[in-house]
Amino acid sequence: MIPAAEPNPLVRRLAAFVRDGGVPYYPSGEPAVEASLLALLALSASEPGGQTAKALLARISALQGPDGSVGLAPAHPGQGLWLTAPAAVVFHRYDLKAARDRALGFLLSLKSVTVANDPNVRQDNTIVGWPWVAGTFGWVEPTAWAAIALGVSGQGGHPRAVEGRRFLLDRQIPSGGWNYGNPGVNDRELLPFWDTTGLALLVFGRQPGAARIRPSLDFLEGNQDRIESLCGLAWAALGLECHGRDTARIKKRLRAALDSPPDDTTNAAHFAAGVVALAGPKVFLP
Amino acid sequence: MRRRDFLKGAAALANGAALPGLAGGPPQTRPAPCPVTLLAVPDYRRDMEKEIAAVMADDGLVLKGKKVLLKPNFVEAHPERPINTHPSVIASVAHACLRLGAAEVTVGEASGHRRDPWFSVLNPTLRAVLDRRVRTVDMNHGDAVAVPNRGRRSGLPQFYLARAVAEADALISLPKMKTHHWMGVTLCLKNLFGTLPGIYYGWPKNLLHFRGIENSILDLAQTVKVHYNVIDGVVGMEGDGPIMGRARPVGALLLSPFSLAADATASRLMGFDPRRILYLIQAGGFLPGLKAEDVAVRGENPRRFATVFDCLEDFKRMRGGPFF
Repeated sequence: MIPAAEPNPLVRRLAAFVRDGGVPYYPSGEPAVEASLLALLALSASEPGGQTAKALLARISALQGPDGSVGLAPAHPGQGLWLTAPAAVVFHRYDLKAARDRALGFLLSLKSVTVANDPNVRQDNTIVGWPWVAGTFGWVEPTAWAAIALGVSGQGGHPRAVEGRRFLLDRQIPSGGWNYGNPGVNDRELLPFWDTTGLALLVFGRQPGAARIRPSLDFLEGNQDRIESLCGLAWAALGLECHGRDTARIKKRLRAALDSPPDDTTNAAHFAAGVVALAGPKVFLP
Repeated sequence: MRRRDFLKGAAALANGAALPGLAGGPPQTRPAPCPVTLLAVPDYRRDMEKEIAAVMADDGLVLKGKKVLLKPNFVEAHPERPINTHPSVIASVAHACLRLGAAEVTVGEASGHRRDPWFSVLNPTLRAVLDRRVRTVDMNHGDAVAVPNRGRRSGLPQFYLARAVAEADALISLPKMKTHHWMGVTLCLKNLFGTLPGIYYGWPKNLLHFRGIENSILDLAQTVKVHYNVIDGVVGMEGDGPIMGRARPVGALLLSPFSLAADATASRLMGFDPRRILYLIQAGGFLPGLKAEDVAVRGENPRRFATVFDCLEDFKRMRGGPFF
């Protein structure tokens, strides 16, 4: 368990997003698993034993299926199983080892589909990662989350975790950064994204392979002043700090974004990620 | 599926499309040709609200008291590339809907490759030009409604539609006129991918690719009722679209109640023969408007806008014309 820190006013504001025992992405929506999980990670750094965390955790735990998976909603079984990986990270941070291990068991059974390599696409389609939806290809975000889940649980050396990192290195855009998972098509590099780049960088914190991510670190550090969204600022700050890059400027802007009054377009998952980012990347590291 | 395999199928179907029955059954009967109206819009500085409202009303679109959802193609805020339906077009259509008495107007998108909605409909460039009564909704992150798949091609038993789509009284599709590196062109029908939330389908919506992009487009076209279509052809994208291509000014908006008629007409303006584009051919099995004689082009003379979009080598076989 992470020891409780000083009460954080941003965490208090985060708790205001909670409704019916969960956190909706937007005020007009229903409670959402991903937003609740990120809120739990934010709370884990300061108020892990608080009533808000307990209520959210109870709701998430109730969603876990017999196979260990965590999906979007009981009403839509089998949908959103990619959420199992961030759920495993949360279970680990809250010392729910049995739930975590069942989630990891499901993740290890879940493999992305591989196909023969295509000369039009600059990537190795034979490397196994994790998909968004069972029975489809692997992509950066679900693979990164699964690799993080294995890493925090002390299984960073598991062959699936090793292959997951290999998958991510293969999907890295040569000039730096990651998008959803295609570095280039038809001999052209595709555009990198702030959020997936930050998330993928977290995978290599305290893990082998960090030497090969320098283009992405340089890209993110060199372009940090172009980042305008709360989501982008949060994940970029996490990715940079994880590798010891200076985050003073980006955190200042992140703090300002979090301090601005929320409206009906404020995404609670992004707000929670921002709160996590201000506390630093430790919740994602072994 | 690799592009060349897909194209082999497309070529075979195109060759067979002249034969009755091969494009998915007899076309839907209709009393008159499908109207497609061309409005001349030389650049995005011109406010088109009144003209758009007049055409919509003339086409019989009744919006008074209704909840209207506008579905643009807004996937990647990038100042140098004409990737998205332009904010001024979205605003003109939104304000035209208000002018026609809509009770609520919402702009919603579930972008297929960007998760961060700042790059989509929550981008400040869009919100800044919209009337305060018009809401913008990130449809990737939110509730969904399961509806039976009314098509039979993808094998998916149901679609999870964004709640804003399922609850709208009227859905207006607002695509950008672009080439597409898998499909040849992306217009009204392909735009329906953005009605499906990413939290269900991922980024990109790989499940739809796995079940066949064209199969998924066609199933969505049979499942999601679209009430009106406006294609942003003021500046299109040619070459390696839908993201990495180049600007191609055309100077027109296309408006129609009929998705396939709008797509087929836009394809002809781009220099492509819709009867050589697989998913449009197949859509002709259940939607009207594939053939030129099924369409009544109104407004400006299409010759004024007809051009030839550059495209990847694989898609040059889809070219045809001159059509006008």
